[in-house]
Amino acid sequence: MSSSVTLRRSRTPYLLLLPAVAILLLGMGYPLVWQIVTSLHEYGLAQQFGQPAPFVGLENFITLATDGALWVVVARSLAFCVITAAVTLVVGTLLALLMTAVTRTARLILQVALLLAWSMPVVAAMTVWIWLFDWRRGVINYVLDMIPGVELYRFQWLASPITFFLVASIIVVWMSVPFVSFSVYAGLTQVSEEVMEAAQLDGANGWQRFWSIILPLVRPVIAIVLLLQLIWDLRVFTQITMLQDAGSKASDYDLLGTYIYKLGTSAQDFGMASAVSILVLAITIALSWFYIRSLLKEDQQ
Amino acid sequence: MTMKKIGAVAAATAALLVLAGCSTPAPEDAGGTDITLWLMGGDTPDALRDYLKTEYADATGGTLTIEEQSWGDALSKLTTALPDAENTPDVVEIGNTWSPTFTTVGAFTDISDMYDELGGDSLLPSFVEIGEVDGANYALPYYFGSRYMFYRKDIWSAAGKEVPTTLAEFNETAASLKTATQSGFYIGGQDWRNGISWIFANGGELAVKDGDQWVSTLSDPNTIEGLTQLQSLFQSASLAPVTEYDSTPWVNINNNEATGAPEAATIIAPGWAHWSIGDLAPDPNDDTKQVATWNDEVFGTFVLPGVDGGVAPVFAGGSNIAISAASKNQAAAKELMKIIFSEEYQTMLGENGLGPANLDYADSLGDDQFAVALRESAAGSKLTPAAPGWAAVEGSGLLEEFFGKVNEGGDIPALAAEYDEKITALLNG
Repeated sequence: MSSSVTLRRSRTPYLLLLPAVAILLLGMGYPLVWQIVTSLHEYGLAQQFGQPAPFVGLENFITLATDGALWVVVARSLAFCVITAAVTLVVGTLLALLMTAVTRTARLILQVALLLAWSMPVVAAMTVWIWLFDWRRGVINYVLDMIPGVELYRFQWLASPITFFLVASIIVVWMSVPFVSFSVYAGLTQVSEEVMEAAQLDGANGWQRFWSIILPLVRPVIAIVLLLQLIWDLRVFTQITMLQDAGSKASDYDLLGTYIYKLGTSAQDFGMASAVSILVLAITIALSWFYIRSLLKEDQQ
Repeated sequence: MTMKKIGAVAAATAALLVLAGCSTPAPEDAGGTDITLWLMGGDTPDALRDYLKTEYADATGGTLTIEEQSWGDALSKLTTALPDAENTPDVVEIGNTWSPTFTTVGAFTDISDMYDELGGDSLLPSFVEIGEVDGANYALPYYFGSRYMFYRKDIWSAAGKEVPTTLAEFNETAASLKTATQSGFYIGGQDWRNGISWIFANGGELAVKDGDQWVSTLSDPNTIEGLTQLQSLFQSASLAPVTEYDSTPWVNINNNEATGAPEAATIIAPGWAHWSIGDLAPDPNDDTKQVATWNDEVFGTFVLPGVDGGVAPVFAGGSNIAISAASKNQAAAKELMKIIFSEEYQTMLGENGLGPANLDYADSLGDDQFAVALRESAAGSKLTPAAPGWAAVEGSGLLEEFFGKVNEGGDIPALAAEYDEKITALLNG
């Protein structure tokens, strides 16, 4: 390929990228810029109603960095997102493997069930989940209490942070597993049968075939799905806020999403809330960076 | 490469799913001026809403749209909608305790010129005061409520208990009525709106103004005394979750259809809760619902007694009402205010068990036991501090958190010191 051809050709991809970039700038750029500007000002209710906002530089960020409460929430959010994303990935992959192993009918039933879970509106699903875990009349307590030796009569799931986040994690996993299963299943259908047959002939058992052949082949899918799960679970808001409505508003039950919401819309400190949002953005970029770097590396190879 | 494509498709799908749009309908002018009124929660009955719509249409030829906001989201919605002339409601009901927060930032129109016309000095003074800035009226009372006790006569008399005359006697009786499945007195651990009665009764305060600065006073000895009583009451009398902060208390005093017995022998609830308390029977018009019929044999009311007898100060519930300063329809909004403060509407409020803003019409509450209990408890009731940052304190959830930790059995002086610091930081706006 001569260099002049490369030069002429190289314009087209950029032109094709333009609409995507324009939409991104319009949709995300304005709020992002506003957020950065706000985070550098003292911005409370008075400013919302038209008072001038004093510029405070990085003061909001310094206050945050020295505030122990924030770091507790950050650590809790990270732990919640890593555990939840990992469980989602494992359950999703197992279901995808199940789909490849069962008959057509069984697979269809499984897929329809997953699709229904996926398409259920969050608020509707949350209402049902909250009923299930209700301490007085919930089915979960009723059923578990029937098991001999299990004392869960009127157990208050939402009244201690550990069980609260256990319930939250179960719900988030339930909501995200379909996406993981379908993506991984799509990946699995691309694994060539010849390779699998050859491995079988060479005497590889089920686990070996999964670990040494299937997993490396579907690794790119798993990587992007894991990344997306991590990002989604870091920003999880609706589920937590609805569980808080049913349980407790105390800060021990906050993740980053609800923490920002309380700081901003409820306590009307928009400057600080923006500063925390920027921190979340930074964490998200850091998370994605690993993936983007590995993509770049693969391209170079 | 195939795998990477699938990954890319997954990412693109995800991106599409993340993009969610919302649209705002454009307001339309047809005939008279159309205005919007925000009401908080379902406290205003439908008959009253219909009355407002009809009267407004008759008076101006315009349409009045009433939008109900839930109490939980209201603060954040008000914060975003009120400054925005395109989206602001024209007239808005607000929690009485939020008034200082919004009046001090200029969210409402000065309506001092209408003050006398709307009722003047007959309007409930404490609510008028909390809506004032430097002597000018911005928010006026809409209705007041008050909290009193509902109890199960059957359970109390079976245990040989009389209606208590002092707070200590109440605390003791409530504890003695607790069983493994029944609260003597049902109160959520984070339910500070009811819990503060014990602070007020012992002469404590949540915050006071020191010079020109508000300071949180949880560490005040009187406040600590109230909290200590509340903590021991919660632990000895209530089976409610320590994290519960807002509930529909009447479900606990009615018989539970599964067990045939109530969850609690006593509850504290706003006066209008009596419509939901009683013997349960299927609704003849809708068999998926139940109606409660008050039964004097089984249910009774009393006012929470004070430390030395008399009446304990309870949280003065209720709302204020104001015109949004950003509204483009100031004249029409004032017309609606005139309808709301008319004798007829004020009387309708009273007939529905809501304390009318204009005390000249307080007789409309009637003289049954509910009206009597409402008047008695309202007479001693107190408002939360009129600090500019009070709405932020409520919004931050700090009070729920503090009361929850106290009722869990925490060290009260240490917790009080910790939360005094957090709350004082928010109080001055």
